[in-house]
Amino acid sequence: MQGEPLLKIENLVKHFNVRLGAFGERGATVHALDDVNFEIIEGETLSLVGESGCGKSTTGFTILNLHQATSGKVIYKGENIATFDDKAMRPLRRDLQIVFQDPYSTLNPRMTIGEAVGEPILFHKLCTKAELPDRINRLLTDVGLPPRFAGRYPHELSGGQRQRVAIARALACEPKFIVCDEAISALDVSIQAQIINLLLDLQEKYGLTYLFIAHDLAVVRHISDRVGVMYLGRLAELATREQLFANPLHPYTQALLSAVPEADPVLEKTRQRQVLQGDVPSPLNPPTGCRFHTRCPIAQEVCAQTIPEWRQIEPGHMVACHMVPGGLHA
Amino acid sequence: MATIPMTPAELDEPKTSLWRDAWYRLVRNKLAIFGLFVIIVLAFAAAFGPYLTPYDFLSQDLDARNAAPSWAHLFGTDDLGRDVFSRVIYGTRTAFVVAIVVTAIAVTIGVALGAMAGFFGGWLDRIIMWLTDVTMSVPNLLLVVVINASLKAPLAAWMEAQYMATLNPFFRETIWVDFILVFGSMALISWPPYARLVRAQVLSIRSRPYITAARALGLTTRIILMRYVVPNAVGPLIVSVSAGLGTAMVLESAFSFLGVGVNPPTPSWGNMISDGLRVWQHYPHLLAAPAAVLGLATVGFSFLGDGLNDALNPRGSK
Amino acid sequence: MNAMTMSAPERLLDVKGLSIEIDTRRGPATIVDGINLHVNKGETLGIVGESGCGKSLTMLSLMRLLPNKIKVKSGTANFAGRDLLTMSKSELRKVRGGQVGFVFQDPMTSLNPVMRIGDQICEPLIYHKAMKRADARIRATELLRLVGIPSPAERLDAFPHELSGGMRQRVMIAIGLACDPELLIADEPTTALDVTIQAQIVDLVKELRVKLGMSVVWITHDLALIAGLVDRVAVLYAGTVVEDAPVEELFANPSHPYTRGLLASIPKLSDVAANRLSSIGGTPPEPGRRPLGCPFAPRCQLAEDICRQSVPPLEPLGGSGPHRVACFVAQRQLEAA
Repeated sequence: MQGEPLLKIENLVKHFNVRLGAFGERGATVHALDDVNFEIIEGETLSLVGESGCGKSTTGFTILNLHQATSGKVIYKGENIATFDDKAMRPLRRDLQIVFQDPYSTLNPRMTIGEAVGEPILFHKLCTKAELPDRINRLLTDVGLPPRFAGRYPHELSGGQRQRVAIARALACEPKFIVCDEAISALDVSIQAQIINLLLDLQEKYGLTYLFIAHDLAVVRHISDRVGVMYLGRLAELATREQLFANPLHPYTQALLSAVPEADPVLEKTRQRQVLQGDVPSPLNPPTGCRFHTRCPIAQEVCAQTIPEWRQIEPGHMVACHMVPGGLHA
Repeated sequence: MATIPMTPAELDEPKTSLWRDAWYRLVRNKLAIFGLFVIIVLAFAAAFGPYLTPYDFLSQDLDARNAAPSWAHLFGTDDLGRDVFSRVIYGTRTAFVVAIVVTAIAVTIGVALGAMAGFFGGWLDRIIMWLTDVTMSVPNLLLVVVINASLKAPLAAWMEAQYMATLNPFFRETIWVDFILVFGSMALISWPPYARLVRAQVLSIRSRPYITAARALGLTTRIILMRYVVPNAVGPLIVSVSAGLGTAMVLESAFSFLGVGVNPPTPSWGNMISDGLRVWQHYPHLLAAPAAVLGLATVGFSFLGDGLNDALNPRGSK
Repeated sequence: MNAMTMSAPERLLDVKGLSIEIDTRRGPATIVDGINLHVNKGETLGIVGESGCGKSLTMLSLMRLLPNKIKVKSGTANFAGRDLLTMSKSELRKVRGGQVGFVFQDPMTSLNPVMRIGDQICEPLIYHKAMKRADARIRATELLRLVGIPSPAERLDAFPHELSGGMRQRVMIAIGLACDPELLIADEPTTALDVTIQAQIVDLVKELRVKLGMSVVWITHDLALIAGLVDRVAVLYAGTVVEDAPVEELFANPSHPYTRGLLASIPKLSDVAANRLSSIGGTPPEPGRRPLGCPFAPRCQLAEDICRQSVPPLEPLGGSGPHRVACFVAQRQLEAA
């Protein structure tokens, strides 16, 4: 990849302590995120994919310091922001924004659209009170909503419109980086396409960097520059879009790609699918060694014993698998 | 066909807020409007009644004792010849004053403790919830009787002493002793439900995505509390306060009935019912008038509370 | 024309002119407007549409499971010779869970959390088939094996929360299949599941359909998912069937502008990446705000005056054949060609 890294994620770990049993008598640790390393390049769209519980959303939340990292670093402008407290984070929140999955619950039902969009502008003192209505109008126009929506309440809007409001709100602080946490997953197909197009337009217009968290590989293929595949709290593979879809190396990536249905009945009836057996193990007690070895069709003894190294196979193509031959030494 | 043609004008509906929607739902609920009407009439009587009634609630007419209802005395007179209508209206004032003050104190304590418990959690939550449980486990009536029995005499004596020392006429009105004791003891037993409600609300709101969204914008805890948590928690609280006012009125009457609330000669529905009960076979109007008004008030608050509940928590809508 | 039209297949379920209304503040509003649908014996029908198009309500109404404020206004639903909408309650109970099995979207909430899964599978067997408890348990074990649950005998005594989402959906399918239904209605059965688990469930249903020779109705919003799964697709928009065609025909030659828009807005894994997806502007009409003519007309780029004035009927494309479409423009374009 060309360009400067905007964010560097180094050995990021996030464990949640939970209490189990009827009386919370047993303590346990959810290994939501373990030893994750990657960079987010300025101006790119990096997608994280994986099934529920793989830690992709946790990654987004931990990068933004909405979850306190257990260990590891998130480097932004030369500082490790993973250790910042709320107050230290506040000025940085302008740059680092997020759009959530469920547009029905991420807007305060008691605030009008205008208030919701205007709030971060006033809070971060980005303009004067007199300029505010103008600012709000421009933001709403940017996300394809008529400015007269400013006086409406969230419950009067459709799901797609609310997601546009949530995007306008994230844009209000003039961010550099937006985490899109399953931002289109709750929307209908025809609306999904509208929002994807909107996100792409805004990226072009404002030079935004996206961390796009999703489970729909077809969508991810459509909008990403690079894609990371996660499984049970670890990165399995990270590559450019072309590399990943043309030459998936990790057996999990291969299975995931093969499980995605194609909108083509002729192709679907002929193609051989590789269907993974079994379920994802519990993150409370993840498997030893490679976490995928319990479902992996090509697992060997070594996979159950040692954690595979995060290796570069070709420039820009990282994978964590014992069974993938070769490797570059940097 | 029930389809309505779609016109641009229709798409530009006037904006509605959740509050306005709730109001529309409320006014379409006939029982709730009935309840609201009853409460407004009673509140009006409580506020202005004493100026409108033809008789003073204390003025006795010993020639017209225990008179049956007539145009001169709408609800008749009692055994001292006092106008029952005037006394019932004055009792309304007593009931409203007690209910409003008690509910205000209870809501203040309950909201403060509940919000702290819900928002900060941890040991503070555990202590407050322990306190709530302990308070709720003490039998209400027993507590009030004990407070009355133990504090009334010393408090009255203290007032007397103050009057002797300062000659301030305020201290001669022993009626305040009644009120302070009633307010205090009732508020003491009424706050736990509010605390529990608010804590549950705050806990549930705290985990809503829009709170995370607000944090992601960098907003401070204070703004999040004031603009996100509180406005979303008030709906259920309004419902609960409406029901609580009715309950407080019934409680006041019950305590006065038992002689541990407001004492004669200050009229209260409770002590009027208590007096009426002794002679109801001969003069049923003495019992019927205060009891009917108490019943009406209870029904009014209960209907309004139900209506508010339906209006603020509409089922089946998003 | 192809072989399917030559020998008229036997219709297991035949829904005619079904309309459903909801009570709203402004009075009754039509949600489903005169739908015609049928399922042939042994056929898998996919019903596709976006949220609010009425796809789930249609199927619920057939079992008379509609929520309180929603009512069937008119129509018939002939199932194996009898009308589901007018039959007596005791007859209907025999159909529900007996001749027609249901699988719902959310396996978390559709199973009773305080009942062992064995008991939940046995329940329809004891009720509909008058089986003895011990026999029912043997059958339940077979069913769990059938739906691919490992060590089924032990799993009978598990509670739903002890199983994963995929396993729970398999249990739901086992319950739906318990009484050898002639028709299995699956309402978004994989929407709550991960993609690798979804693939498992789709393969399972494909396999069972052949093994048991039943008809399946698969309700979904995901066109890609049903491409390899169903024989025929009915596309719903705002409570009407806009297109109904054999699956290959529908994907090769989508004729309704909505179907075309829907297909175009799905990013394909095999496509060379394009930068913009084509999307359908606007949003579907709300119930009670349906336009006068074709419900899609306000979003349709091809809409003409006639589309805004009268509702296009669902008619075979080109006059005959299994491909039916409700669009004035598509019908006329074919005539012209």
